[in-house]
Amino acid sequence: MPDSLHVKVFRFNPDRDVEPRFDNFEVPVFDNMALLDVVMHIQNCLDRSLSFRFSCRIGMCGSCAMYVNGRARLVCRTQVSSLRTQDITIMPLPNFPIIRDLVVDMAPFFEKWKKIKPYYVSNKEISEPVVVRPGSGEREIIDDMLDCITCGCCYSACSMVATNSEYLGPAALNRAYTLIADKRDAIRVERLKTVDRSYGVWRCHTQFNCAEVCPKNIVPTRSIQNLKRRCVLHKFGIVK
Amino acid sequence: MDVIKADILILGAGGAGLFAALHAYDRHPRLKIVIATKGLIGKGGCSRMVQGGMNVVLNEKDSLENHFLDTLKGGGFINNQALAWTLVSDAPKAVYELEVKVGCFFDRDEDGRIHQKPFAGQSFDRTVHVADLTGIQLISRMTDQIFARNIKVFEETRGLDLLTSKDGHRIVGALLSDIRTGEIFVVNSKVTIVATGGCASMYKISAPSFDKTGDGMAICFRAGAEFVDMEMVQFHPTGLVAGRSRLNGSLLEEGLRGAGARLYNGLGERFMERYDPERLERSTRDRVARSSFIEIMAGRGTVNKGVYLDASHLGAEFVEKKFPGMVERVKDIGKDLAREKVEVTPTAHYQMGGVCIDAQCQTNLKGLLVCGEDAGGVHGANRLGGNGICDSTVYGRRAGDTAALLALEEDLHPYQEAEAEKMRMRWLKPFLRERGENVYEIRSEIENLMWEKAGLVRTRLHLQEAAYHLENLIQKIDEASVADRYLARYNMEWNHIIDVANLITVCRMVVNAAKCREESRGAHYREDFPETDNENWLQNIYQKKGTAFQLELTKKPVLLSHFKRENIEDCFFERVKKKRTYTESCDGSTCL
Ligand SMILES: Cc1cc2nc3c(=O)[nH]c(=O)nc-3n(C[C@H](O)[C@H](O)[C@H](O)COP(=O)(O)OP(=O)(O)OC[C@H]3O[C@@H](n4cnc5c(N)ncnc54)[C@H](O)[C@@H]3O)c2cc1C
Ligand code: SF4
Ligand code: SF4
Ligand code: FES
Repeated sequence: MPDSLHVKVFRFNPDRDVEPRFDNFEVPVFDNMALLDVVMHIQNCLDRSLSFRFSCRIGMCGSCAMYVNGRARLVCRTQVSSLRTQDITIMPLPNFPIIRDLVVDMAPFFEKWKKIKPYYVSNKEISEPVVVRPGSGEREIIDDMLDCITCGCCYSACSMVATNSEYLGPAALNRAYTLIADKRDAIRVERLKTVDRSYGVWRCHTQFNCAEVCPKNIVPTRSIQNLKRRCVLHKFGIVK
Repeated sequence: MDVIKADILILGAGGAGLFAALHAYDRHPRLKIVIATKGLIGKGGCSRMVQGGMNVVLNEKDSLENHFLDTLKGGGFINNQALAWTLVSDAPKAVYELEVKVGCFFDRDEDGRIHQKPFAGQSFDRTVHVADLTGIQLISRMTDQIFARNIKVFEETRGLDLLTSKDGHRIVGALLSDIRTGEIFVVNSKVTIVATGGCASMYKISAPSFDKTGDGMAICFRAGAEFVDMEMVQFHPTGLVAGRSRLNGSLLEEGLRGAGARLYNGLGERFMERYDPERLERSTRDRVARSSFIEIMAGRGTVNKGVYLDASHLGAEFVEKKFPGMVERVKDIGKDLAREKVEVTPTAHYQMGGVCIDAQCQTNLKGLLVCGEDAGGVHGANRLGGNGICDSTVYGRRAGDTAALLALEEDLHPYQEAEAEKMRMRWLKPFLRERGENVYEIRSEIENLMWEKAGLVRTRLHLQEAAYHLENLIQKIDEASVADRYLARYNMEWNHIIDVANLITVCRMVVNAAKCREESRGAHYREDFPETDNENWLQNIYQKKGTAFQLELTKKPVLLSHFKRENIEDCFFERVKKKRTYTESCDGSTCL
C-alpha cells in the first residue's frame, strides 16, 4: 500500500453554494483502513465542515452508501486496499437529492418503498407462529432476499430509476416479492396489483445493475422475475 | 421556535422506541404520536446490530422460572426482581407478536417450529434468531409497520433536553434539533418516552453504533430522573482488533467460543487455564473479558494490544458454514477466521445501569417514561446475551401501553418558554465562539480515561483520578467551538459537541457509582475489593442530580420480592465451592 491517498471529495451546500465543487485532501494510510476511516479522518482532522452519514460501521444499517470511484458502495464495508489505487473520488449517491456534501435525502427511495405497502398484514386466522419445515420449499427464495438494509445502492445504480421518476425500483420490488410470496400475509393479491403496472415490475429491463452493487448479495432482478411470473399467473386466475 | 403539540413524544427508534410507538398507536389510533430519532428511521442504534438473538421461553420443557433464575444469577442477584420477572413473562408475548403481527420470520427447527439456540449462562436453549443477523429483520419489519400507521416520524432529529411544566412537577415534552437544518424546536406532549439506548461508547474500544452517546440518560439526568447501578457496564470479550480503523471493537459473536474456539496470549499460552480451568474460554462474559484485559495490561498481549482467538482447529468448513457473517467481517481486515488466529480485545458493549423504572416504565418524574437500554435494574450486575433485545421489545411494548393510558387521562400542560430558550442558547454556544477546544480531542481523552481508569479493572485511586479529570473535561467541552460557524445544516461537529457533553454526564455517574461499590460483582471488578460481599453489598446504588449539577448518591438494599436471601446464599455457596478448587490449582498471583 502507498503511504497516502489523494482524495477528491464532492462538496455542496444548497444554502450557500451556487454549484458543487471538489475539494482535494491528502490522507495518510493505515492498516485495515476502510473508506469510512478516510472520510472520518478528513472530517476530524482536515476539514471539520464536511458532512456525511453513517451509524453502525459494520454493514448492518445501510446509512453510509456513497459513490466512490464510479460505483455505489457502503463506505464502512469497503477497504481502501480493495480499490487498488491511490486516487479516490467520493461523491454522494446518484439519483437522490443532496442535503449537504455526501449526505443525500433518502425520501424518494422510501416513498416508493411505501407505495408497495411494505408492511406485513396479519391474517386473522393465524394466532401463533406457523409450522414451516426448513426444506419444504414453502418460503421459496424469500429468506435469501430478506436481508435488505435499504441502503439505496441498487436504486442509485438502476438506469430505469434514473430515466423514469415513477419507477418503483429494485429494493421496493424486492420487498414486495418477499411479502407476496409469504403465504402468511393477508393482502398479497392487493399488493400484487401495486407492482403489476408499467412503472412496476414491467419497467425492469433485467440488466442486473442492481445485483452487481448490492452489498448484501441480494439479486432484486430474481425477485422481480418471480413477481412478473406471478402477475401473469394471476391474470389467469392462479394465485400461488 | 416552532412548537408542535402531541399526545406522546418518543425519543429513539430502536427496538424499544419502535415497539412503544406501535403499541401506543394500536391502543388508540387517534392519539397523536411523534417519534424522533437521531439516525434515519430504522437505521440508528444497536437493536439493528443484534447478531445472536433473543431469549424467550417457548418450549414446554423450559420454564419462566428457569429464565428468571438465569437472569438473576447472571445479574449477581442485584436485579430489580419485579422487572426481571416481567421481562421473562412478557417475552413470549413479544415474540409471538413479532411473528404474527409484525411479520418477522424466525429461523425454524427441523420440526418446523421456531428454532432456539444455546447462549452462555442459560440452563436451556432458548435464544430465537434469524441466522446471525437477527436485528436487521426485527427493526426493518417494525419500521415497515410504522409506515402503515399514522405516526409522525422526525428522522435525523435529536432530543436535546426535557421540558418541565410551569409548576415544575411534570415533564411536558422536549427541545429537539433537526440535524438536517440545524433548527431547534419544541414538541409539547402529554407523555414523553425516552428510548435512546445507553452509551457503552464512552470507552476507547466499544461495539455500539456511533449515534449512541448517552443522550437519553444525560437528558433524563438534567431533568432530575433517578438512576440505578450506573457502575455496571458490560464488556464483551471478543471485539475485533483493527488498529485505528473504525472496525476496531466490532463484535465477533460469542458462539465462536461456545463452539470451541480458544484464546491465547502473546506468549502463546492458553491463559484461561489460569483464570477458570474448568470452563476455560466458555466461562462467563465478564470473566473472559477481564482475564484478557489483565493479560494485555500485564504486557502479555499481542503487539496490537489484544489476545488471539483461534477457531482454525474446528475445521475451516465448519467455521465458514456456522459463522458466515463473522468470517466476512474478519475478511475486511485481511484475515481468515476459518484458517488462522485473529487478534481480539474486550470491547465495551452494554449498560446495565440506567434510569429507575417500574414495570410500567414510569420514572420518578411525572409524564416521563423510559424503556430499553436507557432504563436500569432489569439485568442487575450483568446482562445475559439475548436478554438485551428481549428487554427492548418487552419494555417498549409496555411503555407504549402506559403512554396511551396516560395520554387519555391527562391534559396537555404548557411548557416554560424561558426554560426552553435558556436550553436553546446553551446548545448554540459553540457557534458564538471564534476559537475554542477541539471536540475530537476531548472525545478521545474521555475514551482513554474511561478505558484505563474506569473499565474492566477498577481501583479507588484510579476512579478518583477519573472523577477529577471528568470535572475538567466538563469545563473543556463547555468551551468547544465549531469550525463552520455559519451553518448549522448537517453540522457534524456541532452535533458531536452535544454528544460529548452528554457522554461526560453519563461517565460521571458511572465513575461515581463504581467508586462507591467497594466489592466485585458481575461486570464491576474492584482490584482493591476482589470478593463479592453479600453481607454488605446486596444493595443498589441510586443517583440523581443534586444542587448545582452535583451527584446525589444513596444506597438501598435490593428488594428480594421473588427470590429470597437464603436461595441466593445457596447459589453463591455452589460457586464458592467451585472457586476454591480452582484457586488451589493455579499459581495464585492473578487469580480472580
Ligand atoms: C453489536 C451488538 C450486538 C448485540 N447483539 C445482541 C444480541 O445478540 N442479543 C441481545 O439480546 N442483545 C444484543 N445487543 C444489545 C442490544 O442491541 C441492545 O440491548 C438493544 O438493542 C437496545 O435497544 P434500545 O431500543 O434500547 O436502543 P437502540 O436500539 O440502541 O436504539 C436507540 C435509538 O435512539 C436513537 N437516539 C440516540 N440518541 C438520540 C437522541 N438524542 N434523540 C433521539 N433519538 C436518539 C438512535 O438513533 C436509535 O434509533 C447487541 C448490541 C450490540 C452493540
Ligand atoms: S435489473 Fe431491473 S431493477 Fe435491477 S438495475 Fe436493472 S432495471 Fe433496475
Ligand atoms: S437490495 Fe441491496 S443494494 Fe438495494 S437497498 Fe437492499 S441492500 Fe441495498
Ligand atoms: S455505517 Fe451502517 S452500513 Fe455502513
